[in-house]
Amino acid sequence: MRIALFSDIHANLPALESFFTDVATRNIDAMYCLGDLVGYNIWPNEVIDEIRKRGIPTIAGNYDWGIGRASDDCGCAYKTDVEKAMGKISISYTNEIIKEEQRNYLRTLPAHIRLEYQLNDEKFNVLLVHGSPRKVNEYLFEDRDEKSMLRIMEQANADIMCFGHTHQPYHRILNSGTDETAHFRHAINIGSVGKPKDKDPRGGYVILTISPQTVLNDKNSVQVEFIRFEYDIEKAAKAVEESSLPNEYADMLRKG
Amino acid sequence: MTIALFSDIHANLPAFEAMLHDMDKRNPDAIYCLGDLVGYHIWPNEIIAEIRDRKIATLKGNHDEKVECVLTTEDSLSLSGKDYAYHLIGQEERTYLKTLPSHIRLEYKINAQNFNIVMAHGSTRSINEYILEDTDQQYIKEMMEEAQADILIVGHSHKPYHRTLLTVEGKCRHIINTGSVGKPKDGDPRGCYVLLTLDSIYAENDQDSLKVEFIRFDYDIEKAAKAIENSLLPNDFAEGLRFAR
Repeated sequence: MRIALFSDIHANLPALESFFTDVATRNIDAMYCLGDLVGYNIWPNEVIDEIRKRGIPTIAGNYDWGIGRASDDCGCAYKTDVEKAMGKISISYTNEIIKEEQRNYLRTLPAHIRLEYQLNDEKFNVLLVHGSPRKVNEYLFEDRDEKSMLRIMEQANADIMCFGHTHQPYHRILNSGTDETAHFRHAINIGSVGKPKDKDPRGGYVILTISPQTVLNDKNSVQVEFIRFEYDIEKAAKAVEESSLPNEYADMLRKG
Repeated sequence: MTIALFSDIHANLPAFEAMLHDMDKRNPDAIYCLGDLVGYHIWPNEIIAEIRDRKIATLKGNHDEKVECVLTTEDSLSLSGKDYAYHLIGQEERTYLKTLPSHIRLEYKINAQNFNIVMAHGSTRSINEYILEDTDQQYIKEMMEEAQADILIVGHSHKPYHRTLLTVEGKCRHIINTGSVGKPKDGDPRGCYVLLTLDSIYAENDQDSLKVEFIRFDYDIEKAAKAIENSLLPNDFAEGLRFAR
């Protein structure tokens, strides 16, 4: 079973369209969207419509949560006053152009999706969240302390945990069993379709493969592929520049 | 948010195509399949191909699981009987069925309420347990409590219904059986699926705040029944389709 997982589109329609073109060539069996459909670009309604049209199971990201409730707070951890000021423009712009039907869609998205497996006389869970199981806007970076990461996964009863939010993809394998009886847990950040932040401006997503041999004590029995795809970055950047959004968001798209 | 829920297609391609045609017109926002793609009919590979092509989030049903125990040899495809329905299934399709999840759980936080929609083929306890319209309510309450399910969606019995149960705290629990796309057993031979509408008025203490529609659709029943009669499958299966039993 090949499962495509994508998130953090952030109203970037050219990137989403290229994602759909790419994923169609990869023999995928199921697809889930891990949130943050809107914010930072001019196509929030169009992005929502493309995802709804395909009936894709989707969870709410922090930006969706904010716009769904017509809030002026997206729960983003902006560090500087400049970032805060820019963020304010982006959320009020998005609140202005979002249509009522699309806002309602965002408001009624689930927070998490859990796939409960019973395979090879063993139970395991694939948990899909936006930020972390504890909070929609918690950042789980790659360098997070191993104990803390394991605790989060154990508390959430997640054996394979997939999330986005940081826009920086990685796959970490952690053993929460012992050396003799291993219980490997996978923490997978799926990157970002429409606003990568890992210096590679191409869009990113993940293909997770659950095979008939998947068992918790074999870390290689779960496969994770990171896919990067080209898209028309200039089109997305120019759209930002021609709007009332801060031009810095266009440069971020060009530089990743 | 409108969620389409369907199950128990049982390799009936004319029924499945008619359902997709009907469902596509209604523009659901998310789609889930609760399993039993195969068994009783001749088109298991076609059903699996269409579900994979549409990337529909799908659960494993008891018939999908049963395939794991069916040994197919070169001679199998010339033997008549009900196992013919499983022998037809290709190797890649068997791998797909084997790696389907047992339950899908949607965890919601809306209007300061935390609640879960849990989907299972039979029940959260067993893939082949029947949760019927008249199953003892205390039993269901305990099972839902144990599974932390506020809205439980199941298939398996091929008899659609929507039941509500009140907890001692005054919360309303919903149990929805999606019926069957390709082998109804409730006396109505048309196919069946469910549209669930969850909007921001949803409240745990108001049983009318969740909208559940049972969609019945016509399909070419004779085509499906004749295909059984012209195959190595028991003719009883064709009669089952004609009379929805």
